[in-house]
Amino acid sequence: MTAGRKTALVVCPGRGSYNKPELGYLGRFHRNKTAFLEQVDGLRKSSGQPTVTELDSRTRYSHAEFSRGDNASLLIFACSYADFLSIDAEKYEVVAVTGNSMGWYTALACGGALAPEHAINVVNSMGNLTHKHLIGAQTLFSLVDEDWRPIPGRRAELMAIMDEINAQEPETLFISIELGGVLVFAGSDQAVDTLIARGPKGPGALPMKLQNHAAFHSPFMRQTSQEAKATLPSDWLRDPAIPMIDGRGQIWRPHATDAQSLWDYTFGTQVVETYDFTTAMRVAMREFAPDCVITLGPGDALGGPVAQCLIALEGYGFESKAGFAELQKDAPVVLSMGREAQREMTVKKDNSP
Amino acid sequence: MDPAEIIQEKFVSRLRSGDLAGHASTLTPEEVGLNGPQLVELFHSQALSRRLDQISRTLQKRGESFYTIASAGHEGNAAIAEAFRLDDMAFLHYRDAAFQIHRAKRLPGETPTWDLLLGFAASAEDPIAGGRHKVIGSRALNIPPQTSTIASHLPKAMGAAFSIGLARRLRLVDAPLADDSVILCSFGDASANHSTTQGAINTTLWAAHQKLPMPIVFICEDNGIGISVRTPRGWIEAGFANRPGLRYIKCDGLDVLDTHRAALEAQAYARDHQMPVFLHMTCARLYGHAGSDVEASYMSKGQIARTQARDPLLHTAATLIDTGIMTADEVLRLHEDVERTVARVAERAITRPKLETTEEVTRSLIPVPRAVPPANEPVPEERARIFGGDAAQMEKPQHMARLLNWALTDLMLEHKNIVLAGEDIGVKGGVYGVTQKLHQRFGPNRAIDTLLDEQSILGLAIGLAHNGMLAIPEIQFLAYIHNAEDQLRGEAATLSFFSNRQYANPMVIRIPGLGYQKGFGGHFHNDNSLAVFRDIPGVVMACPSNGRDAVGLLRECVRLALEEQRVVVFIEPIALYMTRDLHDEKDGLWTFPYDGPGAAQPIPLGAVHCHGKGEDLAIVTYGNGFYLSRQAEKILKDQYGLNIRIIDMRWLAPLPGDAILEAVGSCTRVLIVDECRITGSQSEALMALFAERAPEIRAERLAAEDCFIPLGRAATLPLPSRDGIVARVIGMAGAKGQ
Repeated sequence: MTAGRKTALVVCPGRGSYNKPELGYLGRFHRNKTAFLEQVDGLRKSSGQPTVTELDSRTRYSHAEFSRGDNASLLIFACSYADFLSIDAEKYEVVAVTGNSMGWYTALACGGALAPEHAINVVNSMGNLTHKHLIGAQTLFSLVDEDWRPIPGRRAELMAIMDEINAQEPETLFISIELGGVLVFAGSDQAVDTLIARGPKGPGALPMKLQNHAAFHSPFMRQTSQEAKATLPSDWLRDPAIPMIDGRGQIWRPHATDAQSLWDYTFGTQVVETYDFTTAMRVAMREFAPDCVITLGPGDALGGPVAQCLIALEGYGFESKAGFAELQKDAPVVLSMGREAQREMTVKKDNSP
Repeated sequence: MDPAEIIQEKFVSRLRSGDLAGHASTLTPEEVGLNGPQLVELFHSQALSRRLDQISRTLQKRGESFYTIASAGHEGNAAIAEAFRLDDMAFLHYRDAAFQIHRAKRLPGETPTWDLLLGFAASAEDPIAGGRHKVIGSRALNIPPQTSTIASHLPKAMGAAFSIGLARRLRLVDAPLADDSVILCSFGDASANHSTTQGAINTTLWAAHQKLPMPIVFICEDNGIGISVRTPRGWIEAGFANRPGLRYIKCDGLDVLDTHRAALEAQAYARDHQMPVFLHMTCARLYGHAGSDVEASYMSKGQIARTQARDPLLHTAATLIDTGIMTADEVLRLHEDVERTVARVAERAITRPKLETTEEVTRSLIPVPRAVPPANEPVPEERARIFGGDAAQMEKPQHMARLLNWALTDLMLEHKNIVLAGEDIGVKGGVYGVTQKLHQRFGPNRAIDTLLDEQSILGLAIGLAHNGMLAIPEIQFLAYIHNAEDQLRGEAATLSFFSNRQYANPMVIRIPGLGYQKGFGGHFHNDNSLAVFRDIPGVVMACPSNGRDAVGLLRECVRLALEEQRVVVFIEPIALYMTRDLHDEKDGLWTFPYDGPGAAQPIPLGAVHCHGKGEDLAIVTYGNGFYLSRQAEKILKDQYGLNIRIIDMRWLAPLPGDAILEAVGSCTRVLIVDECRITGSQSEALMALFAERAPEIRAERLAAEDCFIPLGRAATLPLPSRDGIVARVIGMAGAKGQ
């Protein structure tokens, strides 16, 4: 422990974080992490897949290629975990980690419950499995307006439509992720299309059906869960070094974590049930009260949901998107490593790529 | 030096020096069904509870915390939480923070550190009481909030335990408590002496002795002292180890493994056998009674030092180290992490909003109305069968006792979750026959003959409410409420308030009372004071003056309880139970036809009745006072030419002020006739009402003397009489003569 350090909650992003602007992320920021990237690429080579450094070095971003589960997962993990390794430990004491969706696997690695080599394997395996069993779809709806203020009645409206769809054909639509001001649904293609057609529009481009995403965090993923449990060694998970908050808001503490229970959750419950990132954030902020939140890259897709969670929790000095932007200028409470200026505040000065 | 600091320093220094001989448990985690991580999590809960105790003291010095009664020394109860299920409802006393913290870990998404700190800080966001009191409690964790310091929550815990088997016998679907759940309640060794503890345990055993399921664990957390008075050595064991039907299990609360062993045994016995257990957990009171308590004023330095050495955290730490689960350094790091984390959370929690307005404070006094399933439509054949021979009498006007009996019958037919309970209300049918035949009509599970203990009767009602039933308990005589009033005043009435409307315990308490019983005086059967109910916020009190109103009011009281979850007191004037005549013998003017379901006119809360339109004077009264005023009215009109109106309040609390003023109308003279003792009676509130809101009205009152009711013919002497009313009205309005 170093006196004067800020306490931080680290938040790991999920799928959809590596997009066109992120092309070259590893090259720009993490060329110095040779050993780690060799480990990542080694696994990809041995399984005959394009390496993450190859993907990251492409001259052109192809959404079709980059958003595939078997490519996106490990690429995102590599960027996120490398970001985590770059956090300036003299300035920040990480008091807890959490993540969104596949960010849970990253959180396991950051927390120390998965050794990096095992984490690489888990992420790649889960990416491959979700690509192999590309069942159903995911879509996003906004629960907040352009200024991140709750839209009255929006959630109830969506729930009513979901109930109607499930009444017509049972168990076809589920809440996939509670993501701050965004509600992610998972279901059959048809159910998701129906929801998009019937559901409220806006703000912006929402609702949006996510390309190459399956019906994550829903019973549609049972087979993925079963295969993961059958193939991934149960002794890979271990006691974490940093408290981790899962997608239900459960805290897994150092020394107090039963590896088998963590394994059951990670490859069972977590895969087939709603991922409640909002609750994870609430638990993290209330039970650990960190001075700041560091969201790992690539990209800054989680910045909005994290800020929306803080708005809902109240007491962080802002109540809207505009208020958040204002606060972030001088004394940012959310540090996004995918944003150049904020990244500089989090990394060691000598962390040149 | 603050004991919190002394104990903290001792903990750290002993871990650093390795001076832990004799502290580790002689049991292993495996022997008591725990693994290493579970033991660490228990230690974390204990350390978190301790740190919260510490910080509440330092925050208090900054004016940011308002509660310093500590759980320090009792943290072994975390192991009890570990042994029981989340849906085992727990009524906990005020030193059980570690229990709540540990139970919270069973439910993902819970934030016990934050929640407890909001409670210390009296924040409006405190998730259980909303800043109204620091209580141990959580809706999500099945811990109804307790403010009790005197074990007054034990009778309702007994009632809740009884309700589990009762729900099964009544085949109630959707009972909130699982059929195989167990009720927990905790209290200190000093409170074990309280009549509430003794009564609740006695009632539990009385029921269990009759082979009724009583799945309950009484947890006595015995720290050996109550504020300054030591519990005699061995007293708890002597008092409870050999009670018939009570399984006694003892454990060392300093040893978390021994406590878990005992708790597992207790839960298995209570759950499997549906029998009561007394779990005796010895522990220590490390921080004195409360923040302001100076132990040195009643304990020697040696005694204080010996107590402070009995630190459960030190024992758990020693066990963790001894079993190789953690090193001393790791334990210290965990301990330090907890300290730093709590400090950060506290700084944030104390900034959260407080209750700012009176309206915010009072908002939770009245429970949230709930959607209830529609009542059963009375099936004519079933109704006819249930009423039997009574059906033939329904066309004739009847006295109040009979009408109440029929109303109760119909209400029980309509609502399968209504349960009556009281002394002699079953087989005998009540001292005055009001509950006659209900036992044979609905069986012993819905017309329960209780033992003689009013605290248990009201506790039973609260417990049944926690399991979705609507109890209509009877207190046999008004005078008997007094030994049990805290069950109403301190428990039932406060539940909505202290749970921020998350819990409610609706009930209708029937209480026969008041004076004027013919040929049968005596204070205990003619008590004429309702003051005990008048000042309890949120409680509704009704009092009928006649049989027809009795039916309408009772139906509304049951609706208020069922739909609005209110706690209702229904006062039944005994003298009017069998009264048939008003002016002359056999005039039958005080009998009324029965308004059955569909025909009964509801008498909405606050609706008064105005008899007559006379302008010479208005009498405001209720109960026997209305009856006597009606007699007086005839004399006043016939003999003195006075035209008056008589307003029957019907609802005594909350006072229906607007309705009374409206009924008084343009009358400029008001006589308040109150059969209760003048001090503390309704007349006080009525005088204030007229003085404050209608000062132009000349209001006087005729109330009972401040005297207990004597025996025999003297019984009515201290009470308002018909002739007394006549005289006062003439005095006020003058006689017109005819």
